[in-house]
Amino acid sequence: MASSEVSFSRKITEDLSNVEFDTSEDVEVIPTFDSMNLRDELLRGIYTYGFEKPSAIQQRSILPIVKGRDVIAQAQSGTGKTATFSISILQSLDTTLRETQVLILSPTRELATQIQKVILALGDYMNVQCHACIGGTNLGEDIRKLDYGQHVVSGTPGRVFDMIRRRVLRTRSIKMLVLDEADEMLNKGFKEQIYDVYRYLPPATQVVLISATLPHEILEMTSKFMTDPIRILVKRDELTLEGIKQFFVAVEREEWKFDTLCDLYDTLTITQAVIFCNTKRKVDWLTQKMQEANFTVSSMHGDMPQKERDNIMKEFRSGQSRVLITTDVWARGIDVQQVSLVINYDLPNNRELYIHRIGRSGRFGRKGVAINFVKSDDIRILRDIEQYYSTQIDEMPMNVADLF
Amino acid sequence: MNEHSKKTLTFNKSTLFSLKAELLKKQEEVLEKKNLPKHRLENYKPVKVLDKNKHESNNPQTLKSKLKAIDTDELEAQRKSKCALEKKAELYEHLANNAGHSELAGRFLVDFKEKKQQGITMPDVELTEVQLVEKEEKEDGDWIEFTDCLGRTRKCLKSDLDFYKKRDKELMKRMPGFEEDESDMTEKKAEHPFLVQKTKDYLQSLRQKWEEKEKELLAKDQDIHYQDILFDEARMHGVGYYAFSTDETERKKQIEQLMKEREETIKAQKQAEELRKKRDELVAARVAAAKARQRMRLGLPPEDPEDKQNEFRKCLIEFLNEKKTEADNKANEEEKRLKEEREKERQKERAAYIREWDLGKEGVDDKVTKFRVMTQEEYVEKQRAKRINEFAPLEASTSRKSKFSFDTQGSKVNTQINIKESDSTKKKTWADVRQEVRPLTPPPLHEINDLNQKGLYFSSKKSENSVKYKNFVKSGDPIPIQNELSDEEDNVRRHDKRHNEYHSEIAPPPTYDYYGPEPKISKHQKPFESDIRESFAQGTKSLETKSTGIHLPKHYDFTFD
Repeated sequence: MASSEVSFSRKITEDLSNVEFDTSEDVEVIPTFDSMNLRDELLRGIYTYGFEKPSAIQQRSILPIVKGRDVIAQAQSGTGKTATFSISILQSLDTTLRETQVLILSPTRELATQIQKVILALGDYMNVQCHACIGGTNLGEDIRKLDYGQHVVSGTPGRVFDMIRRRVLRTRSIKMLVLDEADEMLNKGFKEQIYDVYRYLPPATQVVLISATLPHEILEMTSKFMTDPIRILVKRDELTLEGIKQFFVAVEREEWKFDTLCDLYDTLTITQAVIFCNTKRKVDWLTQKMQEANFTVSSMHGDMPQKERDNIMKEFRSGQSRVLITTDVWARGIDVQQVSLVINYDLPNNRELYIHRIGRSGRFGRKGVAINFVKSDDIRILRDIEQYYSTQIDEMPMNVADLF
Repeated sequence: MNEHSKKTLTFNKSTLFSLKAELLKKQEEVLEKKNLPKHRLENYKPVKVLDKNKHESNNPQTLKSKLKAIDTDELEAQRKSKCALEKKAELYEHLANNAGHSELAGRFLVDFKEKKQQGITMPDVELTEVQLVEKEEKEDGDWIEFTDCLGRTRKCLKSDLDFYKKRDKELMKRMPGFEEDESDMTEKKAEHPFLVQKTKDYLQSLRQKWEEKEKELLAKDQDIHYQDILFDEARMHGVGYYAFSTDETERKKQIEQLMKEREETIKAQKQAEELRKKRDELVAARVAAAKARQRMRLGLPPEDPEDKQNEFRKCLIEFLNEKKTEADNKANEEEKRLKEEREKERQKERAAYIREWDLGKEGVDDKVTKFRVMTQEEYVEKQRAKRINEFAPLEASTSRKSKFSFDTQGSKVNTQINIKESDSTKKKTWADVRQEVRPLTPPPLHEINDLNQKGLYFSSKKSENSVKYKNFVKSGDPIPIQNELSDEEDNVRRHDKRHNEYHSEIAPPPTYDYYGPEPKISKHQKPFESDIRESFAQGTKSLETKSTGIHLPKHYDFTFD
């Protein structure tokens, strides 16, 4: 207790690598939305969107964020993290003030757009304005939309920073910064961009970090831009969801993966499925091969023009396409309720991505299945993942289709 | 014939129909394949093949150049399939020549014996439907291989070729979507199987719709709502979900309507609730009346006493509960207050905290300069100002000048030397600052010991520290104060008395050697003497238990069985 106080009031110089981060003490648990003292219009939005009872993370995090505290929130995939900060944002907004009050940054354009959608859905009765400020779109339109006055801006770091530098996005009234998929955002690739944006924000802006995975090194650095944050964390052995069954299919050679996938195709189309490859080229190759074999699949990756990406997303969200072959651009945060099967055609490059990938299925209490294609030398990696998260990955049974 | 019958395939209308259906299905599949984007099925397309072959006969050069363009992968695949087909053809031929006598032939559904006979007697029945396009002349003159309009490779006698060609053309004409003029584009479109075409068109129309919607959104200088960006997403919403119109005025109307209906619902709910309550009361009254009547009929007195007893019990429980909740509330309030205080303190600290990433921002640097380390004097003055007067050192003690002072080790030092020393180390301690002021009282001895071990470290955190008199030790003679509440320090006082009697000016060193073991230990030997609070608590507890017993007369003593 005393040591934490001291470390907080002094500038932290000591090594934190041996410190274990735990959920903060005295985090209140509020069992219903009704008892959260939310605005009526917001409450109506929450119920019409389909939430009835707050999930664990929602019960714990909404209040501290509304109170204005810095919060680090971790929760299993598909348990309502986006809604958590969206509800908090909507509760603390002043809708009569037509200026940007909250900035949400996320790693992919699709995710930023999805967050915009959630904010608009939950705030449908509040008349909230939220803009998706993402790359690959028309600059002029972006400027026009921002000039129109947006309460909330959900975007990707590059375009947001551009808009701030052009003084189109005014930061004067921003009182909250949300980093969705925080560990990704504070990773090497994004950290500088986040810093750039942060430098334009008023000092001591409220910061909220949200992710399903928060590695230690990320928690260590939070004191640089957060003040005495409330932590709501999940132990890693509780990070995998019971509802997502995980299997593997052992293949001797890479070529056999394709045949296995073709055999599984009928299973894939029961609802909707996402197939992950590690590279964009492989996505293209697999897509072409599947189409040649007369299977209907669609594909998406970062090298496609934004227009095409949008269309693919819409088709997949509307259920018009049922099988999507993609890269890790789709690994984090994307929420399509009907996805119940995830296939790792290639095993992910790190443990965190595994959690995020399989988390595309089994959304908000639904069932899901994850199937990993493993070559003999990959099995070791899979066993490592299994052990790390204390979970179970069995060989795929014959009746896999009955599981969802 | 026995052997023959074994292989007989029974034909009837239904099998023929299913064969026909299968054929049509295959046809459709081929056409579908042809129209798949990026799919390099062109090479297999009969029309193309026709073209190719025409070219081939006229100009073999173009074919070669075309072939070059084909993927090497595909060439390999083609070569493999051709190989396999050739092998198959060889086997087939072999079997046919041996007329199915071999054991091997028995494994196949095709009756080669029969086949051979048929082949001689009449033109291949199977081939009547099949047709043409000459592909390659085989060395053995009579037989020729050709590809029909469905892309199948067939063999026939050279003499029959014209006949088959004619048949094939007729078949092609009869096929759905076939048009004489073979311009590729129109044909492609027309040849889409119905379903595929349908879904493709649908998707295209959807995309168009979305695009239009997006354009509209961009043009719209109005608020954007959830419905505007939903784009046909297949998502389950809550039961109360209502898809508003994308038109602003319409939307407003709908919201108004919704609110109105909601109010009405609430009103209706209230009314229903009231009605139900009234009805329940009525029913209860009726039941009670009926019961009373029944009792009267039986000649029993009205059941008042039980009611009363019940009432009393209820009252009692209520009373007890009230007491309990009162106490709980008090405790909660106290806790809450404490929490709030702590929270306030932390909030202050939070406000003072400067994030590394904020350094250099406007307004932050002021904060940085504002926050500086106080000198010891300043800190002491600040703390002194906070002090409640009652806890201030006695007048008498402050007025008396001391001749000696003691350093942190408890040994006597000259004041001037002390200052010099402290100057040389450049560390001012509490003792230095408090030179002139007389301390309140000597601390309990064990605390002195503690002090020696800890050295002089003052935390800036706990304000209580300022009142603790272990901070007041170092200078001057201790003036004893009789502590009536505690008798544990008897021996200490005795020492002090002796001091005064002999006017000893040299204070004994407050060390372990001098005073012996810490008096703390003696505390344990006499457990209750000093802990007044505990005894109070126990007393009140026993009083409470007694009083609850007194309140209830014996005949009301029920133990809630």
